Amino acid sequence: MIKTLLRSVAMQLSLVVLSGISTGIAQELPLDEKTTSLGKQYTGIVRIENASIVPDFATPWNAGLPRGGSGTGFLIGKNLFMTNAHVVSDSNRVIIKKVGDSEPLLARILHVAHDCDLAVLELEDPSKFDDVEPLEIGDDIPKLDTAVKVVGYPIGGERISVTRGVVSRIDFLAYSHSAVDYHLTVQIDAAINPGNSGGPVIQDGKVAGVAFQGYSGDVAQSTGYMIPAPVMRRFLKDIEDGTYDHYVDLAVSDFPILNPALRRALGLPNNGQGIMVGSVNAEGSADGKLEIGDVLLEIDGYPIASNGSIDIRGEKVNMAEIVERKFAGDIINLKVWRDKKPLDVAIELKRFLPYLISARQYEQRPEYVMYAGLVFQPLDRNMMSALKLSNIEVRRFFGYYVADELYKELPEVVVLTTVLPDAINTHLEGYAGGIVESINGTNILRLKDVLPALDNEAAPKDFTVIQLRGQGRPLVLEKARVPGAQVRIMSKYGVREDHYVE
Amino acid sequence: MNFFRHHLLIALAACASVVPHASAQAQSAEPDATTSIVRVNVTNQRYNFAVPWQKQRPTSRRGLGAVLKGNKVLVTAELIQDSSYVELEIASTGRKLTAKVEAADYEVNLAVLVPAEDPGVFFDGIIPLEIAEPAKIGDMFEVWQFESNGSPVSTNVQLQRAEIGRYFLPDAYFMEYEVSGLVQYRSGSFTLPVVKDGKLVGMLLSYNSDDQIADVLPSMIISRFLDDVANPPYEGFPNFGIQYSVMLDDQFRSYLDADQYSGGIYVSSVIRGTSAAASDLKKGDVILEIEGQAIDPRGNFQHPDYGLLSLSYLIKDTARVGQELKVKVLREGKEVDLLVKLQRKEPGDYLVDPYLFDRGPKYYILGGLLFQELTIPYLELAGDDWQNRGPFKLVYAAKDPDTFEDEGRKKIVFLSGVLPSNSTIGYEGLSGLILTKINGRKILDIKDVDAAVKEPVDGLHKIEFTDFPHMIYLDAAMAETDNTQTMPIRYRITDLKRLD
Repeated sequence: MIKTLLRSVAMQLSLVVLSGISTGIAQELPLDEKTTSLGKQYTGIVRIENASIVPDFATPWNAGLPRGGSGTGFLIGKNLFMTNAHVVSDSNRVIIKKVGDSEPLLARILHVAHDCDLAVLELEDPSKFDDVEPLEIGDDIPKLDTAVKVVGYPIGGERISVTRGVVSRIDFLAYSHSAVDYHLTVQIDAAINPGNSGGPVIQDGKVAGVAFQGYSGDVAQSTGYMIPAPVMRRFLKDIEDGTYDHYVDLAVSDFPILNPALRRALGLPNNGQGIMVGSVNAEGSADGKLEIGDVLLEIDGYPIASNGSIDIRGEKVNMAEIVERKFAGDIINLKVWRDKKPLDVAIELKRFLPYLISARQYEQRPEYVMYAGLVFQPLDRNMMSALKLSNIEVRRFFGYYVADELYKELPEVVVLTTVLPDAINTHLEGYAGGIVESINGTNILRLKDVLPALDNEAAPKDFTVIQLRGQGRPLVLEKARVPGAQVRIMSKYGVREDHYVE
Repeated sequence: MNFFRHHLLIALAACASVVPHASAQAQSAEPDATTSIVRVNVTNQRYNFAVPWQKQRPTSRRGLGAVLKGNKVLVTAELIQDSSYVELEIASTGRKLTAKVEAADYEVNLAVLVPAEDPGVFFDGIIPLEIAEPAKIGDMFEVWQFESNGSPVSTNVQLQRAEIGRYFLPDAYFMEYEVSGLVQYRSGSFTLPVVKDGKLVGMLLSYNSDDQIADVLPSMIISRFLDDVANPPYEGFPNFGIQYSVMLDDQFRSYLDADQYSGGIYVSSVIRGTSAAASDLKKGDVILEIEGQAIDPRGNFQHPDYGLLSLSYLIKDTARVGQELKVKVLREGKEVDLLVKLQRKEPGDYLVDPYLFDRGPKYYILGGLLFQELTIPYLELAGDDWQNRGPFKLVYAAKDPDTFEDEGRKKIVFLSGVLPSNSTIGYEGLSGLILTKINGRKILDIKDVDAAVKEPVDGLHKIEFTDFPHMIYLDAAMAETDNTQTMPIRYRITDLKRLD
């Protein structure tokens, strides 16, 4: 909760920006910066305005709330602009504005990667950028204590802004846009403010990173973060084939071997090398390849220290960095210590989907089934953020879905989220918030199972019987009363469709 | 909860007018506050469940006790919980006598105190109180207390209704009298004796000054408790062991073929190790009658004197351990008559003890690893909202004990924290982890830890958990050094374990 996206403030700001444009005042404000040297240097750095519709998972039948926001982007190739995913999330319409030019240019999102908070856009008509040189992306991670500047359109004025600072820290940190992904991150002390998101951080004339998140001022000062060039390059390489394939995952968790007794028990030499495997997720890349108690000694030839770090050209980085740079189908070579003997293990990497339950997701139309006022929805972070359910089984499936491999039990967790009050369900309101175990005797393993189970003609003939997990009594509805109630509830509560299931 | 009640009483003092009792006649044959109640001063000291070898800072509570025959004093159990010192005091003279707890039942919130030393002249002039018969709605009671100078104060209150209410433990529901009247609060007291015609009719549990309503623990519960204490071994109050749903839902009634009846409640679960589990009662049964009393769809029956009362009255308040209750249920559309022999599930019989007073939590320290048996008071360290804020896996174990009991566990033993020491380097961040094995031996309660650590393998203790990181090792010799040196010297822990 400490780390906040620049977007949240940008959202509030956006109202001001957009209203400024509608009154026409903004059109008079920007000066023609092409004539200045500053303007020329930064012609590839653009302002991006996003009009979005954010779905409300508490009323999944509604389209959601129209919102707006703005950020920064930059030209990286012929009609190719890079920005943050969070600048263009849930987008209905994206507009790009050239520096010193208030004309809104319609843009399209080509690829968006919410797991690393990057996106690329193109203009419908790129002619205004025909003579603009794209910015060049740097080769590697900038060194500590070297100077950088941040360019963009943050709050505090209409025109382009430049701030300067140094590289303060290189670390492997959480990307707050999805809330579950960790990647290489570079901390800088140049001011990064709402609106800077998606803008370039420049070193030696090249883009060293994309400004993307920071702390609010009451938590930490002069602490901004950028997505460094290796992450940008990985994204661009991933989309070369025309689709974004996401990050791959080893799907294990590791425990540092800092205790001498643990080291001795594992039969390891006392050389400060190796990290213990503390869990291996079923259906993940390492399933069947690694075991709890294995010690990872080397990853692709890099020795792993007992805290999980490796040394890449003098730079200490998390060993996950090796996995980070790979793609689905790539092989990772591990030297493993098992039963006090070394063992070479090659693992083909793939994506690990169950963790998405705790990720913030975007461009996702809420799925639901509404039956007699009972609303069924799949359990995920978007739904939990909207409804904040406290049922202990819901909390267990949400919090331990990956750690306890509950995805093996339920590929999708279906929750009775809401009861829209009506005569037919007046005694059932207290049961909202529980996990649906079965309907009419059919186990519910995913939302898709709900409608067929409700239509099931099997016994009991006259009743629909819904069993919730951990709930002693079933919820019972007289089938004959349902059709009338369905019509009544849809009209009363403005539910236009009784379900949306992909 | 107890402090909350206490404060309510204090708040009243500001707005109440003082009407002292007309006179204090010590020689009168009629009992009054002076002759029949004493002050009880208690020093309470609770164990600290986070650092179980330590007790918390002592606090003090004051209350009033009713003197019963045989120089016994009846108080609420809440007053003497975790007491390290108990003292009786004659209000008028200030004469004092050290006392001890003879019996306490925290579920019904009652305790009997007896002198811990030769009483001498302490009880001279005291007239013991008898216990009143059950009262009728509309009866007038007197609430007895003292001015700070020791003179008696009596206030009249009237019995409005009776209900099944919660005593001070979360799951302890018994009958309460609800009385109305302006209770003048004189000196800080946890409880006030309530008297009818010179006999003890109840103990005042709480008072709401806004609507001038007080809850009184009634004499019938007191009689049952005293009778049980007088006939050892103490059996306590029985538990039935079901959870039930109300049956107001017409569609549900029709589904269960229960719509031809006017009442009934749905048994939604049967709790293990209870009277219900030992009987033929099943989940899904609809209870229509208990001991011939019809149960309405909300779970109430009609009491001749008190009107609608929860069915729990028919079990916990009036029946006894060993008694067979006649229960009529509706099962698959047919009426079935069952007998449920009442048992009592003691707090220690639960996988996770629901409460723990007067003794410390069980723990074991190994080199700095602190293992404990899980109790609800431990979870309550997370605050009143522990069910949402407590360590999830431990909260879940408390909520859903069946799967753990299936593994043969008697208790949940968990790593509650790590005291930094030479042997625990690298493990400092671990906590809230449920143990499965130590040195290959299954850990079903804390005593298994004591046995298992005697058998290290190759000089190492292997400790396994249900969750990440699943296993750690400890150097046995180093842990022993930490146990004998670091723990007693640095942490000043003299007792490395409490197994009983």
